Amino acid sequence: MNLLDIRNLSIELDTPNGRVLAVDRVSLSIKEGEVRGLVGESGSGKSLLAQAIIGVLEDKWHVHADRFHWRGIDLLRLTIDERRALLCRDIAMIFQEPMSCLDPTTLIGEQLSEAIDSKQLSGYFWQRKKQRKEAVIKLLHKVGIKKHSQCISSYPHQLTEAICQRVMIAIALAGRPILLIADEPTATMESTNQGQIYRLLANLNQLKNMSILLISHDLENLTHWTSTITVMYSGQFVEAGTTEQIFNRPMHPYTRALVDSSTKANLQLPTKSRLMTLPGSIPILQHLPIGCRLGPRCPRAQQTCVSAPKVSNFHGHKVSCHFPILHESPRKESQKHKAVKHKTVKGNN
Amino acid sequence: MLTFTLRRISLFIFTMLVLTLLSFSLSFLFPGDTVINHSGQINATASELVQLNKAYQMDKSIVDQYGAYLTHILNGDFGQSMASQSPIRNEIIELLPATIELSLVALLIAMVVGIPLGFIAAINHNKASDNVILSLAMLGYSIPVFWLGLLAILVFSIGLGWLPSAGQISLLFEIEFVTGIQFIDILLSDSPYKWQAFSNASAHIILPACVIALAPATIFIRLSRAAMIEVLAASYIRAARAKGLSFQQIIFRHAIRNALIKIIRHVGLQFANLVTIAMVTEVIFSWPGIGRWLIESIYQRDYTAIQSGLLVLSCFIFIIHILTDFIYAALNPLARGNQHGS
Repeated sequence: MNLLDIRNLSIELDTPNGRVLAVDRVSLSIKEGEVRGLVGESGSGKSLLAQAIIGVLEDKWHVHADRFHWRGIDLLRLTIDERRALLCRDIAMIFQEPMSCLDPTTLIGEQLSEAIDSKQLSGYFWQRKKQRKEAVIKLLHKVGIKKHSQCISSYPHQLTEAICQRVMIAIALAGRPILLIADEPTATMESTNQGQIYRLLANLNQLKNMSILLISHDLENLTHWTSTITVMYSGQFVEAGTTEQIFNRPMHPYTRALVDSSTKANLQLPTKSRLMTLPGSIPILQHLPIGCRLGPRCPRAQQTCVSAPKVSNFHGHKVSCHFPILHESPRKESQKHKAVKHKTVKGNN
Repeated sequence: MLTFTLRRISLFIFTMLVLTLLSFSLSFLFPGDTVINHSGQINATASELVQLNKAYQMDKSIVDQYGAYLTHILNGDFGQSMASQSPIRNEIIELLPATIELSLVALLIAMVVGIPLGFIAAINHNKASDNVILSLAMLGYSIPVFWLGLLAILVFSIGLGWLPSAGQISLLFEIEFVTGIQFIDILLSDSPYKWQAFSNASAHIILPACVIALAPATIFIRLSRAAMIEVLAASYIRAARAKGLSFQQIIFRHAIRNALIKIIRHVGLQFANLVTIAMVTEVIFSWPGIGRWLIESIYQRDYTAIQSGLLVLSCFIFIIHILTDFIYAALNPLARGNQHGS
């Protein structure tokens, strides 16, 4: 069963020049125990989507969805408070910059202990404090911080970025979530720490069967850790499928370009030659192209691309493009051509 | 924390040196003889003048003169008042506590009223209550204090008769002078009418303190509103919401402390403004404080009194500044560390 099932989620932003559609009908589903990657350039609305799921967007953002189910419960029928109460219990989120996501004036220990739900504690109220402290130390050990007493009694600015991120993960784990949303958890870290954080997340997934939504701009790195990937571009859904499908047989020109621009896929490239990239850059929110937003940059774009493409499903490999790159054996292709010809001949008759 | 304290103390010493330099130079700038401006003895005989010249080392270089002036100040000798010919030191000791009392009570009222109102406005940002509070703040800020003082007397003392209009305490009560701060003196005294005196003194302080507090309170409303809006948009508040904390928990555990840090330094800066307002208000409400005394000395061209009054008042304001700095450091862990250049 799908843990999280979102269909056609749109996010609009109030600006002085009217509403801007920042995220345009994105669908996302997460199965139990799955690590799903969400890939896109910076500014493609990945973080917005994540924050919309957990419901912490500011008032100027407006979220709509056709379907928003969490473990079979229709969240759209609940009030905002009920929804938040439900989601905050089951979903936890790690934010991009851990340093700025910890209250600078509160001790780490306090911030951790307030994340622990008092329902998890047993015993009388005079035992609670001690139990809380033990739970905090346990959490810190779980995320690999050994000097717990030092960490508890320090402020966020006294710790390094990597330790702050671990503390954030510990805070996220405090609620024993079923789904963990990790929004670029290693954006500002060096590679050794990056590896450690990703390994920690992978462990949590394997040992606790925790589903993870891993948001990143780095497709190549993500393929190591995820089982399925969703690709977004400029607030639009691009492609979704298993990691294998996305990385080895991308069907959307944008995914193709993403894969081509990574170094791993280009090992055969001669030294000091340029990597493949799409011309131009991601459009700004005020000047979004109509239809498929990749249009102006897309090498396969044609006239039909001014209208938004529908999502087509190729054996679980979903792609939103009028002209997907089809990887089929030559024989099958010719068969298809024949069929098409046959059809047209029939039509003429 | 020790280095922080040492830094503040050294800052205090050097600022006070600059201030004494200023008041020292005033003696030269005011009309009249410098040594008479220093000492305030306008009716000095020739032999006394010689003595004064020697005491202030007027025959030596200007650096020595400043040194001599500084020694006098440090010994607590501010000279005599030109108008009353009594030592300024005694007058200041008598009058300054009343001003301290009044301005601190006013500051307290301004903070207690202004900061929570600003927070409420920020929490209801862009809603009706926010707009109402902001417009009230605008209105309060625009009312001149002398007019407000007279209006308050007219309405509350003469019209409604709720509160007394002048003075610090009713003349019926005889309170021994110990610290000069009326409330402490009342509590220290062993008069059988202690509590009556206390309530009488409170009734006397309410009106002037509220008049003084109005303008700073409106500034605090705006400051705390802006600070709270900024804090509520911060990512750690969003993270706290994602943690599943309720709105009250977020406000009381995370938002208020961080917003207070942003405000508390401005409180120190606003205090100078508040004392200025207090000086005018003291005149209106006949409050026996140093502000009224200073304004009277300005009318009487009492240069010595102006000089020392300015010195003492600015010293008082600066001490409050440093105190708010300490409160700031106590609230903000980032300021406590060994940071340079602050």
